[in-house]
Amino acid sequence: MDLLDFAIYVAPPLVVAIFLFGVGYRIGRYIFFWRRKPSALRRQRPLLKLFIGLIKTFLDPLIQGFKYRKGDFLGGLVALHILGVIPLIFLLGQHVAMFSYWIPFYLALRPLAIPSSITSSSLTALANVVPSSDMSWTFVNTVWGPLTVILNGDLLAILAIIGVSYKIGDKIVRLVHKLGNARIGDWYALVLLLAILVSGFMATHHLPSGETGTYRTVLGIHILLAELLVATLPFTKFWHFVFGYWYGKLHEWYDLKYNRGAL
Amino acid sequence: MSWEEFKPESFKSAETYTLKHLDAVMLHFFEDCVNCGLCEVNCPYTAAGEEYGPVEKAEPLRRIYRPHAQILPKLFPWLFGANSPKSKEELDKWVEKAYRCTNCGLCYVTCPFGIHSGEMIKVLRSYLARTGRIPTLLKMMIDTEASNTLLENEGLRKVWEGMIDRIKAEGVEFNKKNTKYLYLTSLAEVMMTPGSVLGAVKFFKKLNLDWTMPDKPLSMRAPIGSLAGDDEATTIVARRIHEYIKEINPEYVVLSDGGYPYTFFRFDLPRIVGEKPSYKVIHIVELVGEALREGRLKFKNAEEKVTWHSPCKMGRIGGLIDEPVEVLSKVSSNLVKLKSHGVFSKCCGGGGSIACIVPPTQQVMEKVMGVSIPITGSEKVFLDKLYRDMLVAGKAKVDEIRESGASTVVTACIGCFHTMGMTTQAFGVNVKLKMLSEFLAENLE
Ligand code: SF4
Ligand code: SF4
Repeated sequence: MDLLDFAIYVAPPLVVAIFLFGVGYRIGRYIFFWRRKPSALRRQRPLLKLFIGLIKTFLDPLIQGFKYRKGDFLGGLVALHILGVIPLIFLLGQHVAMFSYWIPFYLALRPLAIPSSITSSSLTALANVVPSSDMSWTFVNTVWGPLTVILNGDLLAILAIIGVSYKIGDKIVRLVHKLGNARIGDWYALVLLLAILVSGFMATHHLPSGETGTYRTVLGIHILLAELLVATLPFTKFWHFVFGYWYGKLHEWYDLKYNRGAL
Repeated sequence: MSWEEFKPESFKSAETYTLKHLDAVMLHFFEDCVNCGLCEVNCPYTAAGEEYGPVEKAEPLRRIYRPHAQILPKLFPWLFGANSPKSKEELDKWVEKAYRCTNCGLCYVTCPFGIHSGEMIKVLRSYLARTGRIPTLLKMMIDTEASNTLLENEGLRKVWEGMIDRIKAEGVEFNKKNTKYLYLTSLAEVMMTPGSVLGAVKFFKKLNLDWTMPDKPLSMRAPIGSLAGDDEATTIVARRIHEYIKEINPEYVVLSDGGYPYTFFRFDLPRIVGEKPSYKVIHIVELVGEALREGRLKFKNAEEKVTWHSPCKMGRIGGLIDEPVEVLSKVSSNLVKLKSHGVFSKCCGGGGSIACIVPPTQQVMEKVMGVSIPITGSEKVFLDKLYRDMLVAGKAKVDEIRESGASTVVTACIGCFHTMGMTTQAFGVNVKLKMLSEFLAENLE
């Protein structure tokens, strides 16, 4: 068994087990630390206003980032999150195939799959060359149509790499200016993400060589690193997209808007 | 302990105490920060130095929590930034950070994860209080308030009694039980913004309400210990006031100070005294707004160009954002908005006890109280720098006022009033400052 077989067939259950344990641990702590205290009378506000307030609670930081931190808005939010890792992780053709292997109902997302490169999209969507087997075809002939010329794994990966590099650069600048605003967890998260993106890009392009053994090793490394991210996700700042973001904004809305009425 | 001391043996008990604040919400503030730095864009103190960004100022508290609440930082503290201060200089740095926060809550609404760094910094202050770091003037006020001896100082007694004599002339019955409204003012409000108190009294009379007020000050402002993280003193004063209110048994407690007393009595008190109150806490603007809607009040139209500075505690944290604007728009057809308003209204830069401890305030207090406040060398350096930074932090608000072209700035917090007095003067912006109840009362028909 080589690295790739290990990553695909052996590691996943283990990764999921650690992940689930972590989720239980992190959420369990919230329950453990929860204390009941007498609270003040809440201020009555109309339901519609509260609902609009809820949407605004989620939108406000984006607006503030757009207004006052253009670099972070473009690099951190647009390149890294919105165009980069989120569609790349969940919709890249190869990822849809891999996730469907372990979670069959993930196959429902197949029509939304994003092809890995401009070549794969143009060969299928534009040149209309029917592949000999159906398997790859179903992952590239998607609802995106000609859009896949720009909406493809290569471009998204490059944007995500730019986004992560921007964040790493930002941390370095902060360190140089002795702002101290860089924690060990930041380096772990950003460097791991960069390594996953670069190794994924390399595997897709059969880099550094087209030789099968090398390809399997690079792809194996890519998958293992991604699995490391999933396993450690509940213990790192990656937890923000599973829990921290949603809980944090909902709590803020509940505290400031629902309870105090700051609408 | 004095400001100069550095006693590592005090850190243990300070840490144990600070850990008591680690509930589910604080756990979220502590663990879910991704260190993105966005909170910096709105913090008034970032202007005075990027090291004063909210995430940086909350970091010392995270350092205290990490070795107790997380496994890896317990094993490798040096790798995770998990430690107490190692030297007096480091402790002083922590104090400097903790006193560059007004607890305005702007970081709370700016953070993509709803992390209120200001609340963490408040807890950090309680850690520092236990290592002997409470600014001397603040400590004096806390102790006098907790021991209920405010009026033993002749100067303060004169200020209070002068006001009580004026109110007496309006025919109020003090400490009257079972009235509908209990008006709660403070020694600080009487001293700094007497017009605000007299304005409120005018409304009670004009609306012919069944009201009363205490004839002795119950506190310096609201429990002032809450600003320095002195939870014991805060609880003593909070309980005393709560008991007094219960004895009077009003339906409403009314405040004209929209600074931290408003949020303290409205939202924090039940948690601190551990009891759901039998009374409702409101700001006088809520009373005026209701009377206006019911047609029981009428205002003249004020000629001047007026603007409203929303105190963070009354607006963002207290939920009264639209109400004051609604009432003011009935008084002036020339009401202009400041550039930042609503939930994102900028902080004046002086809240969270800062404006009340800087050297100019200290001089005023020395004069009123007739005492000299003993400040050591390094505390003086700390206070002088704090004052310089406060002016920098307050400049954004002054710029907004200048841009608005208003000749009168109305606000409702005596801290904002006092801070903007200093900042507008420092930056040469010539405006009249008015407290809300005072301005409204002046324009009553
Ligand atoms: S904005 Fe929130 S998550 Fe980002 S650094 Fe500040 S507190 Fe942390
Ligand atoms: S509460 Fe206000 S002053 Fe304090 S850190 Fe947050 S934004 Fe800055």
